[in-house]
Amino acid sequence: MTDLLTLVVQQSVNGVYLGCLYVMVALGLTLIYGVLNQINFAHADFVTVGAFAAFFTATRFATKALGIPDTGAYLLSLFSALGAGALLGWLVSAAVFAPLRRSGADELRPLIATIGVSVLLENGQLALFGPIPYQFDSPLARETIRLGPIFFSGQSALVVAVSAAAIAALYAFMRFTFLGKALRAVAQDRETAGLMGINENLVIALTIVIASALAGVAGALLGPVVVLTPFTGASLIVKAFAIVIIGGFGNMEGTIIAGLLVGIIEAFTVQYLGSGLIDLVVFAMLLAMLVVRPTGLIAERKEENV
Amino acid sequence: MSLLLVAAAPWLLTTGYWRGILVLCAMNVLLALSLNLVMGYTGQLNLGQSAFFGIGAYVSTILIKSHGWNFWLAALAAILASGFVGLALAAFATRLKGHYLAIASLGFAVITYQVLINWESVTQGVRGIYGILPPVPNTVALFYLVAGIAAAVYLLLDNLVRSPVGDTLRAIREDEISAASLGVNAAIWKAFAFGLGAAIAGLAGVFYPGFVGTLVPDAFGIIESFTMMAMVIVGGMGTMIGPVIGAVVLTFLPELLRGFGELRLMIYGLALTLVVLFMPGGIVQAWMSVRHKTRP
Repeated sequence: MTDLLTLVVQQSVNGVYLGCLYVMVALGLTLIYGVLNQINFAHADFVTVGAFAAFFTATRFATKALGIPDTGAYLLSLFSALGAGALLGWLVSAAVFAPLRRSGADELRPLIATIGVSVLLENGQLALFGPIPYQFDSPLARETIRLGPIFFSGQSALVVAVSAAAIAALYAFMRFTFLGKALRAVAQDRETAGLMGINENLVIALTIVIASALAGVAGALLGPVVVLTPFTGASLIVKAFAIVIIGGFGNMEGTIIAGLLVGIIEAFTVQYLGSGLIDLVVFAMLLAMLVVRPTGLIAERKEENV
Repeated sequence: MSLLLVAAAPWLLTTGYWRGILVLCAMNVLLALSLNLVMGYTGQLNLGQSAFFGIGAYVSTILIKSHGWNFWLAALAAILASGFVGLALAAFATRLKGHYLAIASLGFAVITYQVLINWESVTQGVRGIYGILPPVPNTVALFYLVAGIAAAVYLLLDNLVRSPVGDTLRAIREDEISAASLGVNAAIWKAFAFGLGAAIAGLAGVFYPGFVGTLVPDAFGIIESFTMMAMVIVGGMGTMIGPVIGAVVLTFLPELLRGFGELRLMIYGLALTLVVLFMPGGIVQAWMSVRHKTRP
């Protein structure tokens, strides 16, 4: 009995850690959707860009040029990933989303345009970094933390800590700063917010930058635990969408809960059904969710879309 | 004129490689036509068309290889199978709109792909099915066959969208609530378009395995859905000729860019983004406006 309990707790811990990574990616999607009602299909490729930025910062720049030791170098690389993500977000916002918004595009065109951006980013990185997987060693991945019968790596502890900090910071920003309030106002009603003197274009650009910065950091956290190739992030995008839908489009709390839930379900699927069935289970859940409760876990009172 | 060009195509491109591309092109035209019916004429954002393509390919191949069916009988069964799966998905998916339908259909495509990988006793999983013969002896004949079918489907759909049914579908696309207030049963017509689109994609799938010779799940990943969507958008969604042009351009563009080596797909991605940004109605609309300007 205690063995079973240990197993359940251990898998839940694994699931939460995985879920935190998903939340970091899905939150950005949901933020952009909430404010813009549009999907950024290249979002998960920002994760890959973040991972490569972190990789080169940690292994080439920080340790070689600055002589910073392992752990410090890796922590520093989180910030370079954040910067890379933010920069990319700004670029895509200015080059793709803003012109499409000005021309009054429907929901389809931004989706297709960002699919193009996704293909461009993936193959651009393929040309730069090659198809051979990179070995991104985080010094924390080698550490094992033991709590009674439960084991987890230092990396997973860091993932949970950074995700929690990022979510807390995002919440504080949304609640307490003027820009955060402006962002929520634009999300609720773009036109009215504009009439109240809020510069909606700035707010939308800011949202995309924040979302992309989150994706970049997620990449730095993800890099050391997966095989790092130009297509690492691409494998995440569909699952991130599933999470956004399960949580309810544009709903932050729902997305966080759904992300953790999907992580935990995935951990138990690996334990009891085998890793080959992960996607089947997650997407069966998505379809079931769309049949039973299309508004997501936490329903918002919005009459459109469903 | 264009028919003549199509008929002459295999004699203009004489190498085996380019003739293969021609077959692929005809298949892509079929796929783009199928998606355009759903997306362009009924306004349903469907990202799962690759699943129906895959169902058509697998059902026909398994019936032929494992059960010894005649090709045409198996083809008919495959078309019906993908059509019915499409109808089944539509039965609940037509309640969803916009991005919700997009993700639901995408989820369906992922599930289908995973079933193809995991149901090894039937599909042979990632190992794939080998040694599949085309229904006709050579590439040129296969091209004429698929191109002929694509032309027939084009005529069928062209008549359909000009008929009152086409008006109904367009009415649903423009404003579902208004259409419903005029007595249109939107759910049924949306399901009809979805199912017919699925069946046509299944029809394209019937010819794919014989053309390639092998069948693996990777050919029906979600990226296939995006490629089809790109064809429809780049050509001109909601017009009949647009998706055909899109399919031809996007089949040949990557081949012509082969000289750029690794940069090929980068340019492809960039081109897709630029077309969406600067040619909102696709090539067809851009062409029309150019002609409009040059003629006083």
